[in-house]
Amino acid sequence: MALVLYHGEPNGPSLTVLAALFETGHDAELRNIDLTMGERHQDNVPSGVEVHMSIEGEGPVLVADGEPMADSVFIACYLNDSASISPIAPQDPFARWQMMTWCRQIIERVAPAAAYLGVKAHLADKLSALDDAAFEKLIAPIKSEDLKTRWADIRAGAFDDAKVDDSKAKIKAAVDKVETQLSDGRDWLLGDFSIADLETYAWLAGMRDLEPGAFDGASRTAGWLDRVKARPSVSRALSLARTATPQDIWAPGPEINRWG
Amino acid sequence: MSDVTLYHWEPNANSGKPMLALMEKGVDFNSHYVDLLNFDQHKPDYLAINPEGTIPAMTHGDRVLTESTAMMEYVDAAFPGPKLMPDDPKDQWRIRWWMKFMDQWLAPSFSMIGWSVFIGPMVRSKDPDMLKAAIDRIPLPERRVAWRKAIYGTFGEEEMKESQRRVAFGIRMLEEELSKREWLASDQYSLADVNGFNIAYALPLSQPELSNDEKTPHILEWLRKIYERPAAKKTWAMGKTDLATRIKILERS
Repeated sequence: MALVLYHGEPNGPSLTVLAALFETGHDAELRNIDLTMGERHQDNVPSGVEVHMSIEGEGPVLVADGEPMADSVFIACYLNDSASISPIAPQDPFARWQMMTWCRQIIERVAPAAAYLGVKAHLADKLSALDDAAFEKLIAPIKSEDLKTRWADIRAGAFDDAKVDDSKAKIKAAVDKVETQLSDGRDWLLGDFSIADLETYAWLAGMRDLEPGAFDGASRTAGWLDRVKARPSVSRALSLARTATPQDIWAPGPEINRWG
Repeated sequence: MSDVTLYHWEPNANSGKPMLALMEKGVDFNSHYVDLLNFDQHKPDYLAINPEGTIPAMTHGDRVLTESTAMMEYVDAAFPGPKLMPDDPKDQWRIRWWMKFMDQWLAPSFSMIGWSVFIGPMVRSKDPDMLKAAIDRIPLPERRVAWRKAIYGTFGEEEMKESQRRVAFGIRMLEEELSKREWLASDQYSLADVNGFNIAYALPLSQPELSNDEKTPHILEWLRKIYERPAAKKTWAMGKTDLATRIKILERS
C-alpha cells in the first residue's frame, strides 16, 4: 500500500488524518501544503471528484495506490480498517454505529461552526491583503462553485451575524455534549480511544482561544483535551507544524447548513 | 415477533434507506409508520424513542439507533444476509464519501425543492394554530427553521436557484460516476446504491429535462435495475401516499 498524504497545518481535518496515520502505524510520505492559500487545487496535488466536491472543504488529500481520497473521518476509517488490528475504531457494530453517529454530528454541526469562526478570525485579513489578481489565481482552479463562493465571502469579510452567533452556540453545545459524555469519569468519549476523540479534538482545540467562554467550568473537557493532546500520535502531528500556533490556521471548511 | 422495530415514514429519502437495507438483508422487522405530515415525529410517543424527533429510528432489542446512513451500516454489519458493503476498505471509503455527499450536499437540495412543491402545500391547508403549535414542539432548532420555511413557503429565490444548480450538477456527477461502474462507488450493489436510489428514484418524473434516457442513460438503467430488485418492490409497496407511487415511472415500457 503506497500512501502519500498532502496535509495542511495540524489543525482541523489535517490533524485528524495525521494522528490517525500515526495511530494506525502505516508508512506514508508526508507533503505539507498550504491549505490557506488554496494549494490543494494546484496541479501537483492529485485530485478527482471526491477531492473537488468534498463536504469538508479544504481538508487533506490521501493518495492511496494512486487514488486521491478526501474527508477526514472516512480516511481515518480506511486507515483503521486496512491496519492489521482495529486500533482506533470499535469492531462491534453497535459501538461502530455510536462512533459514526458521533462523528457525523461533529461534521454537520461543529465543523462548519468552528471553520466559520476560525476563518473569520485568522484567514479573512490574510486574503483581503491579496490583490485581486493573486486572489483570482488562487480560486480559479477550484471546481466547486459553492466552495469558491465561500473563499470569496471570506476575503470580502462577508460574515453574517446570525451565522456567527449560531456558530458560537454550536461550539458551546459541543463542549456541553463532551462534558456530559465524560460525566461518568471515562477517559475517552466512547469508552475506548477512537476516531471520535480525534475528530472532536481537531475541531475544538482551536476554539479554546476564540471562544473561551464556551469552555468555562468544563473541567472534564479540559482534562480530556489535555489527554488527547498528550497522545504520541497527536503530539507527533503537532510537531510537524510550520507555525507556532497551528490551532490558529484555518482554511474554508464545510458549509453551514443551508436549511438554517 | 421480531426484536427489530423501524419507525419510518414513506419509502423515500431517509426513511427509505433503512427500509430497503433491511429488506435486502432479509431481516424481519416490525414496521411502525410515523406520519410526517401529521407531525407524529414530534409527539411524546415518538420523542420517547428519539428525543431529537427525527425519522427514522430503529430499535434492536434495547438498543435505539438514529441517523439513517449510520443505521444502514449497523444493519449491514449486525445481521446475516447479503453483504451491502464490499470487503475492500477503499471501496468502503468511496461508498461512505458518496453517501455523505448525497446526505449533506445533494439530498438537501432535492428536498428543498420537494418540500416547496410537495410537503409545504400538503400541510399548509391544515389549521394555522395547529401548525404553529406543531412547529413549537419541534426539539431541534434547525428543524424548526426548516419546517417553518416549508410550511409557509418562505424559501428565498436565491436559495431555490442554488438548489436547482446543485441538482443539475449532482445529476451530471451521478451520470459520470455510473458510466465508470455498474454500481455507485464500487463494483457491487452496496449501501451507496440503497442511499442514492432513495433520493433519485423519482428523477425522471421530478427533473425530466435533466434526467432522461437521452441525457442520463446510466442513471436510468441504474434506477431501473434497483427498482426490479424484489427488496425494492417490497419496500415501495409499504408506501401510503402518492410520493411512493412515483416509483412506477421506472417500469420498463
